[in-house]
Order: sequence, then structure tokens, then C-alpha cells
Amino acid sequence: MSDDQMVTIQVDGRELKAKAGTLLIEVTDAAGINIPRFCYHKKLSIAANCRMCLVEVAKVPKPLPACATPVNEGMQVYTRSPLALAAQKGTMEFLLINHPLDCPICDQGGECELQDIALGYGNDASRFVEGKRVVPDRDIGPLIATDFTRCIHCTRCVRFGAEIAGIRELGATGRGEHMEIGTYIEKSVDSELSGNIIDICPVGSLTSKPFLYSARAWELVQRKSIAPHDSVGSSLNLHVRRNQVMRVHPRDNEAVNECWISDRDRFSYEGLYSADRLTRPLVKKSGNWVETDWQEALEAVAQGLKRARGTSGNRLGALLSPGATLEEFYLAQKLMRGLGSENIDFRLRQSDFRAEEPAYPWLGQTIAQLDELNAALLIGSNIRKEQPILGHRLRKAALTGAQISFINPLELELNYHATQLVNSPAGMISDLAAVAKALGGYGGLIDSAEVSDVHHRLAEQLRTAERATVLLGNIAVAHPDYALIQGLARIIAGNSGSLLGYLPEAANSVGGRLAGALPGNDGSNAQEMLSNPHKGYLLMGVEPGFDCWNPARAMETLGQAEFVAALSAFRSQSLEQVADVILPIAAFAETSGTYVNAQGEWQSFSGAVAPAGESRPAWKVLRVLGNLLDLPGFDQVSSEEILAEARQVAGDRKPDNSADGGVAYERLLAGVGLTRIGDVPIYALDPLVRRAASLQKTRDAIEASSRINAREAAMAGLADGDKVVVKQDKNSAKLRVVIDPTVPDGCVRIPAGLVGTDTLGGQIGDVTLEKA
Amino acid sequence: MPEIRNYTLNFGPQHPAAHGVLRLVLEMDGEVIERADPHIGLLHRATEKLAESKPYNHSIPYMDRFDYVSMMCNEHGYVMAVEKLLGVEVPERALYIRTMYDEITRLLNHLMWLGTHALDVGAMTMFLYTFREREDLLDCYEAVSGARMHAAYYRVGGVYRDLPDDMPKYENNKFRSDAEIAKKNEVRQGSLLDFIEDFTNRFPGLVDEYETLLTDNRIWKQRTVGIGVVSPERALQLGFSGAMLRGSGIAWDLRKKQPYAAYRKMDFDIPIGHNGDCYDRYLVRIEEMRQSNRIIRQCVDWLKRHPGPVIVSDHKVAPPNRVDMKEGMEGLIHHFKLFTEGYCTPPGEVYAAVEAPKGEFGCYIISDGANKPYRMKIRAPGFAHLSAMDEMVKGHMLADVVAVIGTMDIVFGEVDR
Amino acid sequence: MNVLRDYIKSLFLLELMRGLALTGRYLFKKKFTVQYPEEKAPISPRFRGLHAQRRYASGEERCIACKLCEATCPALAITIEAEPRADGSRRTTRYDIDLFKCIFCGYCQESCPVDAIVETRLYEYHFENREDAIMTKEKLLAMGDKFEQQLAADIAAQSQYR
Repeated sequence: MSDDQMVTIQVDGRELKAKAGTLLIEVTDAAGINIPRFCYHKKLSIAANCRMCLVEVAKVPKPLPACATPVNEGMQVYTRSPLALAAQKGTMEFLLINHPLDCPICDQGGECELQDIALGYGNDASRFVEGKRVVPDRDIGPLIATDFTRCIHCTRCVRFGAEIAGIRELGATGRGEHMEIGTYIEKSVDSELSGNIIDICPVGSLTSKPFLYSARAWELVQRKSIAPHDSVGSSLNLHVRRNQVMRVHPRDNEAVNECWISDRDRFSYEGLYSADRLTRPLVKKSGNWVETDWQEALEAVAQGLKRARGTSGNRLGALLSPGATLEEFYLAQKLMRGLGSENIDFRLRQSDFRAEEPAYPWLGQTIAQLDELNAALLIGSNIRKEQPILGHRLRKAALTGAQISFINPLELELNYHATQLVNSPAGMISDLAAVAKALGGYGGLIDSAEVSDVHHRLAEQLRTAERATVLLGNIAVAHPDYALIQGLARIIAGNSGSLLGYLPEAANSVGGRLAGALPGNDGSNAQEMLSNPHKGYLLMGVEPGFDCWNPARAMETLGQAEFVAALSAFRSQSLEQVADVILPIAAFAETSGTYVNAQGEWQSFSGAVAPAGESRPAWKVLRVLGNLLDLPGFDQVSSEEILAEARQVAGDRKPDNSADGGVAYERLLAGVGLTRIGDVPIYALDPLVRRAASLQKTRDAIEASSRINAREAAMAGLADGDKVVVKQDKNSAKLRVVIDPTVPDGCVRIPAGLVGTDTLGGQIGDVTLEKA
Repeated sequence: MPEIRNYTLNFGPQHPAAHGVLRLVLEMDGEVIERADPHIGLLHRATEKLAESKPYNHSIPYMDRFDYVSMMCNEHGYVMAVEKLLGVEVPERALYIRTMYDEITRLLNHLMWLGTHALDVGAMTMFLYTFREREDLLDCYEAVSGARMHAAYYRVGGVYRDLPDDMPKYENNKFRSDAEIAKKNEVRQGSLLDFIEDFTNRFPGLVDEYETLLTDNRIWKQRTVGIGVVSPERALQLGFSGAMLRGSGIAWDLRKKQPYAAYRKMDFDIPIGHNGDCYDRYLVRIEEMRQSNRIIRQCVDWLKRHPGPVIVSDHKVAPPNRVDMKEGMEGLIHHFKLFTEGYCTPPGEVYAAVEAPKGEFGCYIISDGANKPYRMKIRAPGFAHLSAMDEMVKGHMLADVVAVIGTMDIVFGEVDR
Repeated sequence: MNVLRDYIKSLFLLELMRGLALTGRYLFKKKFTVQYPEEKAPISPRFRGLHAQRRYASGEERCIACKLCEATCPALAITIEAEPRADGSRRTTRYDIDLFKCIFCGYCQESCPVDAIVETRLYEYHFENREDAIMTKEKLLAMGDKFEQQLAADIAAQSQYR
């Protein structure tokens, strides 16, 4: 019997067709026949240890677990026969023996699989009179609350850790009644996907710590949304109570996030309710910030922009957050163009704009296709932390045998086997050139590259793989020689027959281009705008100290402007330093809009709660500004209307990574002395996540520090914990030294986007360290 | 020659004889009614719609508020419908308790009706006497449910709690001698059943007193005989039920025709009238009180001899008792789920009706398999009766409108819903 | 004969006289009326009056913010907000009963797994402004402290029935 032969089985008298060898529970699930289960989960391996899914199969004397029984021809299954019911009832009784009487104080109460199944399949009275087991609790970090006494040993979390998160964080020790779930080394659960164990835990053993005790499932209203942090655009369900987002859950979407979401998407909602949320317009009056009403603030902005503009629109510039919605991008660029300015950009973390960029850069493939890769080369990407869900997809490919390799200035902590070529940022270029050369590339710096074995191997992997891809990550974007990297990547991809893909940094990096939020002819890009002072600036969702490639210069340049208007959801020190008016705008979950994700999918969402206080969705603010400035075409009344307009402008552009680019650029980064690697840590990406209190307590929330490897430290005479003064250009910061073996020689890792490093220069550049 | 016009008179909605919030627009020719147009809806609370958004059990307290003088009968109609939907077998003791309380409710209702009807027509004293008896019956309500009117006592699968073994007693005070208080407490020494039994012993004599005051009273007769006559045919066509139907001579009583609860085992008679006028309906209701008294007495007798459970032991429907809930995991889970989600009924539709004091109180539920009704419809007797208002008062004098409203025994909770 | 008898009865207002005799007799009987508010009618231990929240003997509030009462309240009169207290226990930060909405059905005390929310025997209360109709947690606990003895006795007396 071949594996894909169809067989016919009977379940409760219903005839079902299925592939031979499919698990019975999959067949019944597809047919809508309900079988109770605890340990079975469609995305995890089969454990068959809860015994809840026992069903009767004709000619088999004992009931069989549906989750571990493959179907075969003529099988007759009874899910509600007396034998099956008795088996389920018995299992339920045993499961409840050691379950504590916690329902009233347990957060899972009301959405608990144990409760539901006990009600549906269990006894209605207890026969157990002996004492119950108690298991001591463990603190497994700031995101997940535990109560292991409630555990029913389904081991879903253990299997999740091993199979999905890729870290054996949770394991089971002991057996029978003494079985306990625990973290092996009593440390926090550090996966960027750890929050998903809250969802898969069928009982209240693992619950959300930020959400702890705050609401019941039945109080929450579920609203659909799209994740606002990375370019995956995971499908979310926001759980809302009394106009407040109480928690975030994943929404199943096989094509994007399957049934998982990253912790960043799950817990960032806390930032919405941080203390520095802006709820009223602020105007700077003789150096002091004064709360005012919308009328005055909007007029101040209109006046200010008009004044700064004077006779030429070129004196104005707009810097937009790449996390803005497509509608906001569209209106912002329309406003600027209406004022005669072509200076619009959202690529705040890019410094090198020499290369021509593709019109509609994307992943180069669909997200689901990442699963099926045979080889991948990632350039300047910490994909696990930058796009966790894509990292998970890549891991799936790696586990099925794909050859994954990285060319990075940092050694990554990966949860699968991969080749990592770790070199200084300048060295990365040489490595790429060598790989290109090994693939038969030529010209410019390729000709002078020295090709070693490992380069040959990488080239070979890409060339021989059936499905291969070359992906450009966020560190590559921040590289001062990004033009060269793009050119080399294009050659590598072209010569090896791989797909070239971009891993866009933020939720709407792709959408920004489609909405036209890029400098037009003779317009200045972000880098130019932030180096050459313009008269007036419009900032949207940007904290200049944290969101720009070179925060020190950005602050300085903005400081010299005559007028800076900012649209922001939060109060922020750096914004208050440079801006003249701050208009409060709606944050994530409070506005409707559209994000275009890495695979070029337009995902619209609506607001789930009303904007905080007097803040308003940014598109409304921009629309009214357009009216106050007497610009034509600002009469939209809904975000859908703006979307339709933007869609017309975008036309039927298809995602396309092709561009004319070569490698005939000068190398800007010499890499002679010490080079700073200023990656953006996972929880420092945008204003919202920077304010998510619980995420900031995790181990992934790196503090501002200067990290060097032991060799470099020894040479500079530094020890772990020493204070050093970091000097970059004319800026300096005093930071703690951390010995970090993942940093290559000649480099110091000083993460960007953090308090303490916001006074420094470009994310990647020359620095010097001096012992303080 | 002056132009002669009909008067249009607004009767209510704030008229003491309007029995709540009835607004009648009366077109009069002098003092003769030409047309009566009842306007309803002033007490509309969308209970039927609200029920669609609540688990089944949550609607029980709202049933009390339909016909707010026959609370438990409304609950009975509703829980019977849900029980029929679920296929729940109610313990026998619960059936007897329900039967007894249905009849107590009937007495409460008829006493209220009698007192107010007589008051409307001009007999003040009746009101005082009937409310005195109602006091005892409301004490029975309170003793068993904790509320004197809106009991929320019937539950799907039985009743909430068993009858108490003792009655609350009067406390000594400076207004009465201790001996007097002791005498008042005499009937409260035993259980609730003893208290009810004592009442049933006293009650027939009290009904005799009412009859002494009214039945032969010439004023009463002048105001009721021949007023609001409804022929048996019309009564059927108009959808009358209860005393309104029986007063016209049609022997129809759900307790006999479709026995529910423990009525099959009860020995009682159904009185019917001949003329279909207000007076006959009065006589029917008076006799119903005597018959109710008989039923209550039989129930007391049975209940004293048969202790047992008063609600189903299936905790998928009825919550477990406090001890099981506090000590057993199964009990706690079932308690938790029942009080939050409730239970799901099988999909289907069902109609169940009881003989409420005012007539047939029915509850129609469509279930889509969820834990709340897809649609709930209440068949309230008062609505059908009120719609006959025009026909019944046409040609009568203005003062007779009051008598007709009284005889209809209208309560707006159930008409407006 | 009958006609004659009826005529005489009618002429001498016999039925009215009988009625007057009945009411006359009551004139000389003991008054049935209760002298409220000084004298009160008996109250059942099951009585469902104004709400209260109880404490344990240790002084710790009983309520654990399980929200069963909030969920089961047919009138949606209860609003609860909760968060972990400093000692990690689950407690309410807000427990409001809106007495304008409450229908005194008693479901909250039925649902409470720890006998925290209860209904007292108190039925005589008033508000002077609308805000007073919200029974806050403080007010509920104060009620509980005031009537604890009675409440404990009533709950004990009822335990055999529930």
C-alpha cells in the first residue's frame, strides 16, 4: 500500500476519505468531529501521553488514542461509544485528581481546555478524597507566569521548546505523579517566540505575566489586527476590554505566521499604556512645553510650515517612521509634495543611498516558501531577532536539511546548524566579494578578493541548491557600504541562480515605497535631510535620538531647523528637544490602516480601540493639516478612501527586486581601527516596543554597553564591567564594557536605539575606546 | 345649532385604575364609550431580546418581572421550556414544590386582583383584607427564596433550595406585649410547610368573608353583572385563556388538559361561568382560590412525607452543592462553567405553557445549540385579553372601563414585556 | 316564595348589613398592622437585601477577583478590576455594584466560591445623589464588617440547603 493511497474509514457511522497513514485525529478534525485532546497539537510532534483522545476502533479490544493511530482501509471508529466515553471519563478523572482547586484564581478559567473537556466528557462529581500534589513554582522570566501544580503533563510546552523555539528550555523530570515541568537551568525562557507556550498550554500552568489577573476571557472582545513591528505582518487578534487592549493573541494564518507570533508582537501592547503616552497637543512656548488644544496646535504647525517654507518647498523635509501605515505615508508625502517639497523619506536607518534601489523590494519569495529552501545566504541579518517568524521558517528549512549560512559582523546564537562567517563590517564586504568571485563574478573589488575554502563552500551551496536565496538583513542596510553589499548580493544571487530577497526592517518598509514616501527628483533622502539642515521638518512617529542611523547628527541637524513639527504617540526627550509642536497621534491598535509585508501582501486592519485621550489617527491629522495649508485633494473621510487613492497611485506594481546596480562604488568604511557595530536590539526597534515594560525586563532587552571580545579587551587593557568612554566622530558616551565572544576582532558592538547610545554617531563606523 | 363632537379622553398612563401604565384613548359619546384604543409599550424592556444575549439561567430573574404579581408561574413556564429542550427529568419533590408554589402564586395573584378590582369599583375594605392574606403568602415566598416578589426560585432541573425547616419569627418590641408576639409567632414555630398548612386551614374562612362582602352586594353586582360580556365563541376567537375563558363557560385549564408538574396527581375542580360577564369571572376566580387552597393542602401533605432532592443531580445542568464545589475538582469546574457559560441546549424549538393565574403563560424557545436562546418568545395571557378591550367596553359607560380593566386582571409587565 | 324572600332581603339591605357586621367585627379586633419602622416583620435568613463583602477572621478580604459574580450577573451590575497584589495574590482593585442595575436576584452570592459577596438583610437604604448608588469595594467591605455576625449565622443556617 503506497502512502498516498486514499482509504475510506467510518467514524461514528460517517464515511470519511483520507490518505492512508494520516492520523485519525487529523481526519476527524478535518471532518469536524470533535475528539477531546490535551497533548495533541497540529504543529507539534505526537506524544500521545494525555490519553484523552481515546476512541473505540472496531476489532481492537482496547480503546486507541486518536492522535497516534494512523487510519487504514475499512477502519471503524466510534468516538462516542460506551467504551470510548468510559475511557475518556476515566482519563478525565485521573487528570483532575491532582489538579488544584484553582479555577477562581486561575487566569485560564473560562478559556481552559481542562474545564471545557471536563464539562463535556468528565464526571460531574469527584470521588477523590486524598491529598493533592503540590509542585513548587519557578520564576521563568518576566513574560510567563507559572503554576506547575496545575500542570497535567501534556508536554506541549516541552515539545514546543524543542521543536519550534529550538531551545530545550522546558523539560519534564520525574515520572508519574512526581513528573514536573521546569526550565533545565532555572533561567528565563529566552526564545523570541516564548509567549506561544501560553497559548498552547491547555491549562493555567503557563499564563501571561503582563496580563496576570487583569481580565477574564469572557470580558474580552476579539478584534483582528496586523502586527506592527516587523515586516512579517503576523495576523493578530487583539483582545479588548473597555477600550483597552488587554492582550494580543495570534490569529491562524498558514501563509504568514502559522499559529505563532513573536513575543515582540505579543507583549508590545503594554507600551500603549506607558506613562509617557501623549494625549494632548503640545506647543513649545518660550522654551516650555504647554498643553494646548488641537485648533491652536494645528494652526501652529500650518503657520510654522508655511513660514519655514518661505518661497521654496525645498526648505522642508519629512522624516517618517517606517512603521507608519500606508495611508499615513501617502498623505504625508502628498502634503509635502503639495508644499513643493520632494524631501521625504522613511529609510532612517540607512546611510548609503548610492545604489539604485528596486522599486518594490521584497522578500523575493513568499514567506511560506522559506520553509522549502535548500540553501540560503543571509547577509547582515540577525533574522531570529529581527523577523522572528521568518527566522522560525528558516529554521524549519534548516531542520529538513537546508544549508543556511550567514555573513555577519556578529556571531549569532542560532537554534539550528548554520555556517556563520563572522567578520568586521569592512571584512563582510571582502567576504561577499570572495563569494561573488567564487561564483564567477568579476569587476571592481571582486577581482581583488581572496577566495578561501569557506567562500567556495558557500558559493557551491547556493549554486547546487534547487531552491536557494540570498537575503539582505537590517545590519546590511545600516552598513556604510550598503550599495556595495547590494551589488555583491545581486551578483551572488544572479550567478548562483538564487532568489535575491530583502528582509525589510519595519512593518511597512515596503508600503512606504508603494505610497511614494521617497524623495522625488532632486529630493533629499533621510541621510541628506539629517546632515544638511533644512528650514522646516515634519516628523511622524520618529524619535530622532533612537530611530535614526546617526542620532547625534540627527539631533544636531534638527536642532538647527527653524521649525520642527512632530506627530508622535509618545512624549520623548529627544523629540521635545528639537520639536516646536508635537501632535498626539493614535498608536498601534488605535488606527485603521494598511501594512504591506515582506511578501508584498497588502494587509488592511481597523482600529480596535479609540485613540488615547485627545490623540487622533495620524491620517486625520495630516488630512486636516492639508486643509489648513489650503492644499487640494485633502478631503478624504476614511482611511479606506485614502487607501483607494494610494492604490491607484501604486498601480498594479508587482514586487520586484531587480535594479541596475554594480559594484563600482568606493568603499566608505575603511575598517582600519575599531569599528562600531550598532545593531538594533529586538526590543529597541520602535517607540512602542521601547515602552513595553515587560519586554524591557527580558534578557533580549540589551542595555547600552560596549561589547568586545576578550582578545580586543586584553589589547585595550579592559575588563568586563569597566567603564569606557566611547568616541565616535565628535560624540562620546560613557558605557560599561561587556566581554562578548560573539563580536569579531577589530569591532565593538554598541547597540543602537538605546538610552546611552543615542548620543553616538552612525550605527556602523569608526570608534575609539578610552578607559574612563 | 352647536356642532356635536365626540370627546376623546386619555385614560392613563398615570391613572390609578389603569393597573400600571395602560394608556387608553377613549372616544366617547357623552359618557358612552364608542371606541377604546389601548396604547401599550410604556413598560417595554425588551426582555425577549435580552434573553438572546444571556445564558439560559440568567433569564430566570427576568421572568419574575413579566407578570409581576404571579412571579413563580412565569418562571415555571420558562424553566419548563428549557427542561423540555434539554430533556431533563425533574425530581418529584421539586415538582410538588413547584405545584404548591404555583398555587400560592395563584392565590397571591387573585388576592391582588380581588383587592384592586374591588377598590377600583368602590369597595375599599377588600383591598385591606386581601393584602393581609398576601402578607402571609409573601412570607412563604421570602422564606423559600429570600425575596418577597422577584423570587428567582425555580431553576432548570428543579428549584434552587429545599423548603426551610423553620420560619423567621417576630421579635419582641415595645408596641406589643410579649404574649401578643408569642401568639403571632405561634404559627411560625414549625417548618414552612406547617406555616402553609395553617394558612390553608384559615384561608377558606377568609374567602367566605370576601364573599360576604361582595358576592351578594348590590353595588358590586350593579357594577359587574352584565358588564364586559364575552360570548364563548368570541372568547375562543380572541385567544382568551384562564379565568377570562372559563368565565365565558369554556372548561379549559392547562392543569387538567395538559397536566404538568404534579397536577396529574392533584384532586381539584375547574370552575366555569355562564354569562361571560365581570361577575361570572369574579365568581370563577373566587372558586379558583378555594381550589388552589385544596391543591396546596395536598402538596403540603405529600411534601411532609417525602423528603428528597429538589434539583437534578446532573451537574452539567444544575450547579453542585457548596460542599462539592469547595472540595471536589469536578464540582468546582462545573460550578465555574455553569455560572459563567451556562449549559448548551440541543438545537431545536420548544413551547411549554403553564396555567398562570391570568391564563396560559407560554414560552417558546428556538435553540441553535448555544448556551443562550436563538430566539425567545413569551405568550402572555394579558396581551390577548387587552386586545379585546375595545370590543368589551364598546357601548358601556366610562366607569365600566375600570371594571373591565379590573376583570381582565391586566399587568403591564407581561403585556409590554 | 323566592321572589318574596329576595324582595325582603333587598328591602332590608340584608347583604349590606352582613358586610357591615363583618367589618364591624374587625373594628374591635387586635390591629394586624405592623408598627414600622419601630416594629418589623420577620426576615428570612435567605433574604436578599443590600450587598456586602465579607472578610476572613484574619481580616483578609475574602474576594479573590474570580469574577464569577460579574459573569453571572444577569443585569451586568457588577464591575470588577483586578491585578496581582504586592504579595502576589489575586485581588480586586475595583469592585462596584451599580444598584440602579442590580435586580437582587442573588446569583452573585450563589456563584461566589468563597462566600465573599453576600446579600444582607438590609432593605432600607436610600441615596441622595446618583453616585451613591454605586456600591464600591470600600462600602461593601464596611457593610460586611457591620453585619458579619448576622451574615455568618445566616450562611451557617443555610448551609444544609445549598
